[in-house]
Amino acid sequence: MENNKISILILDDEPIVSKRLKPSLEKKGYLVETFTESEAALKRVKEKKFDIVITDLKMEGLSGMEFLTEVKKLYPDTEVIVITGFATMDTAKESFQKGIFDFLAKPFKLGEITSVIQRAEEKIRSNSQS
Amino acid sequence: MLHGETGRMFDRAINWAKNLVNSSGRSSASGLSFINTFTRFREILAINNQSLELIADANDKLSGEYIFDTHYIETTCIKISSLVEKLIFALDEMAPGKYLALHDAFNRIHYDIEDILAGRQPRSENRLIIPYSDINRDMGDEVGGKNATLAQVGNFMGIRIPNGFAATAVAFARYMEQDGLGEKIKQITDSWENDEIDSRAASSRIQPLILATKIPADLRTEISAAAAAIKKRTGKKKIFFAVRSSAWGEDSEHSFAGQYSSILNVPASKLCEAYKKVIASAYSASALEYRRRIGYTEKEVIMPVGFQQMLNPMCSGVLYTYDPVAPAREVMIATSTWGLGAPVVSGTAAVDEFYMEREPPHRVVQTKITAKLQALVQAENGGTKVIDIPENRQMVSSLTKEQLSELADTGLLIEKNFRKPQDIEFGFTHEGELTILQTRPLALKSFNAPSASELAAIKDRYKVIKEHCGTTAQDGIATGPVHIIHSDDDLKNFPPGAILVTKFASPKLASVLHMAAAVITEVGSVTGHLATVAREYRVPALFNCENITTILKERQEITLDAEEPAIYEGVVKELKYYALSEEEIGETYEYRLLRRVLKKIEPLNLVDPTEKNFRPEACQTLHDIIRFVHEKAVQTIVDQGYYHPHDPDTAAGKLKLGVPMDLVVIDIGGGLAEDIETGKKAIIKPEQIRSVPMKALIQGITNPKAWTNEPVPVDMGSFMSSLTRTFSAEITSPRELGQNLAVISLEYANVSLRLGYHFTMIDTYISDNMNDNYAYFRFFGGVTDDARRARRARFIGAVLSHYDFRIDLHGDLVVARLKKLDKEAMLKRVYLLGLLIGVTRQLDVRMVNEQRVKEYTQNLIELLEDGYGKQQNQHTYTGR
Repeated sequence: MENNKISILILDDEPIVSKRLKPSLEKKGYLVETFTESEAALKRVKEKKFDIVITDLKMEGLSGMEFLTEVKKLYPDTEVIVITGFATMDTAKESFQKGIFDFLAKPFKLGEITSVIQRAEEKIRSNSQS
Repeated sequence: MLHGETGRMFDRAINWAKNLVNSSGRSSASGLSFINTFTRFREILAINNQSLELIADANDKLSGEYIFDTHYIETTCIKISSLVEKLIFALDEMAPGKYLALHDAFNRIHYDIEDILAGRQPRSENRLIIPYSDINRDMGDEVGGKNATLAQVGNFMGIRIPNGFAATAVAFARYMEQDGLGEKIKQITDSWENDEIDSRAASSRIQPLILATKIPADLRTEISAAAAAIKKRTGKKKIFFAVRSSAWGEDSEHSFAGQYSSILNVPASKLCEAYKKVIASAYSASALEYRRRIGYTEKEVIMPVGFQQMLNPMCSGVLYTYDPVAPAREVMIATSTWGLGAPVVSGTAAVDEFYMEREPPHRVVQTKITAKLQALVQAENGGTKVIDIPENRQMVSSLTKEQLSELADTGLLIEKNFRKPQDIEFGFTHEGELTILQTRPLALKSFNAPSASELAAIKDRYKVIKEHCGTTAQDGIATGPVHIIHSDDDLKNFPPGAILVTKFASPKLASVLHMAAAVITEVGSVTGHLATVAREYRVPALFNCENITTILKERQEITLDAEEPAIYEGVVKELKYYALSEEEIGETYEYRLLRRVLKKIEPLNLVDPTEKNFRPEACQTLHDIIRFVHEKAVQTIVDQGYYHPHDPDTAAGKLKLGVPMDLVVIDIGGGLAEDIETGKKAIIKPEQIRSVPMKALIQGITNPKAWTNEPVPVDMGSFMSSLTRTFSAEITSPRELGQNLAVISLEYANVSLRLGYHFTMIDTYISDNMNDNYAYFRFFGGVTDDARRARRARFIGAVLSHYDFRIDLHGDLVVARLKKLDKEAMLKRVYLLGLLIGVTRQLDVRMVNEQRVKEYTQNLIELLEDGYGKQQNQHTYTGR
C-alpha cells in the first residue's frame, strides 16, 4: 500500500474492460494500472507488488491462469480476482485452488466487481494490521 | 419445453396423456400425431421465451452499468441466432414445407449480423443515398461522422438542421469501381507513398482523373431523386444545396479541419459535379500531407458526402461551448458575421465576438463588434458572391441578445447529448430561426482533468445530499439546477439543462428527456420505458431514490454521479471536468457494436397477423421471425386440433364463456366431459371442462368484476393524444388477432391468448402430488406505447410476486414461475391468472401514472381474496 492506498492491476485483452473499470476505480481512490497484454503485465508485476490483481483467463500468449500462478508465487498475499467470459466449473475450481480471492463471470455489473474489490480491500487492511 | 424441472414434469404429463389415449402409433395427415405436434408447439413456446429474455438482457447491457466485451456480444448473437433457427425448424416440423421462406429471411438477417460482427457493412445495407431523417449517430460508418452527428441533432434533440441526405460509403465504393478509378488512384498514391513523386504532383494527377470519371448511373439517379423529394416537400421552385465532405475519421481525434471541401449553393442540376469536386478534395496536396502527418493510411480514405439544403441566413457563425484555451472560465464563445458562415469558419473575415457565461441566462461578459464591410451571400443561380454591407449596418451586432441566449441553450443541449464540449456551426435565417449546420467535438488544449486523488477526496470537500441510494438506469455525471415535476404542467417550458426530479419514472417525461441534464425519481424500473429512453439519449438516470422530491429544492444546484450513486450539493467541478475528459463509454466500439447488432435483432415490425406484410419476406429482425413463428405455431395447432382434426384421440370445440372471448379447446386426455360432442361446430360449456387447472383459470377469467367496462377516466383525453394510431382499436373493442387456444388434459392446461395486442401464455400442471405441480405464465405486450406496457407489466409482476411467483421483468415482458405448492394453493393462483387476463385486457389504458400501478395491485389482490371463495361456492368446485 502506497500512502495507505490500495493498488490494483487490471489485465484483460479486451481494452473496454480496463477502459470501463479504471476511471471508476480511480474515482473511488484506488491506484490503478491497466494492461491488455499478459507479458507486459507480468513484467510490471515483477517490478512492483500490487495489492489486488484483476485478470481475465483467456488471452493470447501467456494465459491468465499462468499469469495468476506467477503472481501468487511472487506475492502470496496479493488478492487475485478472476474475470472471464468463458466461465466453467473447472476453470473456477482451478482458479480457487490457486488461491484466488473471487471469480466473476463476464458480463458483470460494475457494482458487483466493486463490492468484490471492497471485500478484498477489507481483508488486505485487516491482514496488514494484524 | 420449460427449462429443467418443469420441462420434465411436462413430459410426464404428456406421457401420461399418451398412455391414456393410447395414441402413440397414430398420426395425422401431416405425419405427426397431435401430441407430437403439440410437443413441438411447446418447444416453440419455450425457445420463444428464451430468445426474448436474451434480447432483453442484451438491451440492459447498454445502461453503462455492465462490463461486457465483444466476446459477450458474439456469443449472445450466436445464442439468439441458433434459438431462432431452432424455432424455424420446429415450425417446419409442425407444418412441413409451409414456411420455407423463413429460412431466407433468417439467412438475410443472420448474414447481416455476421457482417456487423466482422466489422463489415451488412450486405443487405447497400443504400447509396439515405435521407437525414433516417440517420442516427450509430450510422457513422455508413454516412460518415459529420452526417451522422448532424442528423442526430435534428432527429433526436428536436433542433433545426437543414433538409438533406447523405451519399453513403457504399456510394463512394461504387464510384471508385467506375472505370477502375480507385485502382488508378491507388497507383498514384502508391508512388507518392514511395516518394517517387511529391504530393503536389500526385494531387494534380488524381484530381483531374476523378473529375473526368462519370458517376455511376444509379447513383446519379438517386441523388436527383433525393433532391427532388426535398424540393417537393418544401414546395420551392428552385432549391440549392451545400455539398460537404463527411469522410471517415473526420471530426474524430483528428479534426481534418479545412482539409476537405464544402461547395456552397449548388443548384439541384449540378449536384453530381459538386459530389465529384468534394471527393476530389480528398486528394488535394495538403490533404495528402495532412494524412501522412497523422498516420492515416490511403486505404482508410472513405468519403461519404452530405447534401444539405442551403439556408439563406441573415447571419452565421461558430459557437464553442467552452473557451478552448481557458475552460475553467466557464464561458462560451460565439463568433458571427452577416450572410454565410464560410468566412467565419475559414477565419478570413472580420467577425463579431461574444463571450457569455455557460450558466443560464448566459450573461454576455465580453463583446467585440467589428466593422463588417462585406458579406458572402448566395448568388441567384448558384455559387456565392460578395456584397458590400451598408455603412449603417457595419457596426451593428450580427447577433441579438435573444439570439445569443437561444444559441447558448442550444449549444448546451448538443454538448449534453454528446457529453463533450462542442464546436458548432450555425445560421439564423431572415425569419430569425436558428439552424445547426455542423457540430463536432471541441478539443480543449489546456484542459486539466482532475487527478484520481482529487476525485477520491470529493466527499470530504463537498456536501453529500444523498449517497448509495436508488438504482442506476443510465450512468453518467450531471450538474445543474433541480426542476421538480409535480404535474404535467411542470413539463411545459422545461428549462434546458435542468435536472429533472420527480416521484415516478413516468413515460411522459420522455418528451423532455432530451433537454434534461439528468433525471432522478423516487420510483421507477431500470428495465422500463423511461430507462430505455434515458439510455438512448445517454441522460444519467437514477431511479428509486427515496423521498428525493422532498429532499431537493426547486432550482437548487446539484451534481449527480449516477454511477456511485451520489448526489452532491452545488457544482462539483472535479466531477464535471472528469465527465468531460473521460472517454464516453457509450461511444466505445463495443457499445456501438452492440447497438448495431441489436438493430437487426430487437425491433418488432411484424405485429398484426391480419396485415398484408405479416409474411416471412417482411421480417427485418430476428424478433420479427420469433413473432411470426409463434403466430403460425398457434395457428397450426388450432388448425390441426380443431378445424381439421385428424387425430381421433383428441377432442375439440369452442368454449362458450360469459365474456367476450373466443377460445378453442383441444383435449388431449380427460380434460373434457366424456359425453361431449366435439368437432368444428361443437360448443363447449364451462361446466363440461374437467381439466383441473383449466376450471380454475376459467373461474378467474369469467369473474365479472375483472371485465367491468367502467367509463374511461377523465384524464384520458390528454393522455390519448400522445398515443399511436393503433391504440384506438385496442380500447374500443379488444380485437382478437389470430386465435385463442387451450390444450388441456385432466391435470394440465396450456393456454395461448391474444387479446387486443397482448400475448399471454399459461402452462400449468396441477395434481394431488405437490411435487409435480407448476404454473408458468408469460405476458407480452403488443404495439402500443411502451411506457404503459411496461407499467402494466410491473403491475402484473407486483400482483404475482405477492402470490409467490418468481418474476422476471424485461420491459413489457413478464415471466412468472411457480412450483410445488399444494393443489389448493395452486388452484387459487391459477384463478388469479384468470383474473389477470380479464383485468389486463384493457388495463394499460388506465395505467396513466405510476400511482395506478399501486391502486390496481391492491384492487386485484382484494378481488382475489374476495372473489375466489365466493365464486367457488357458485360453481361448486368438485375436484375431479
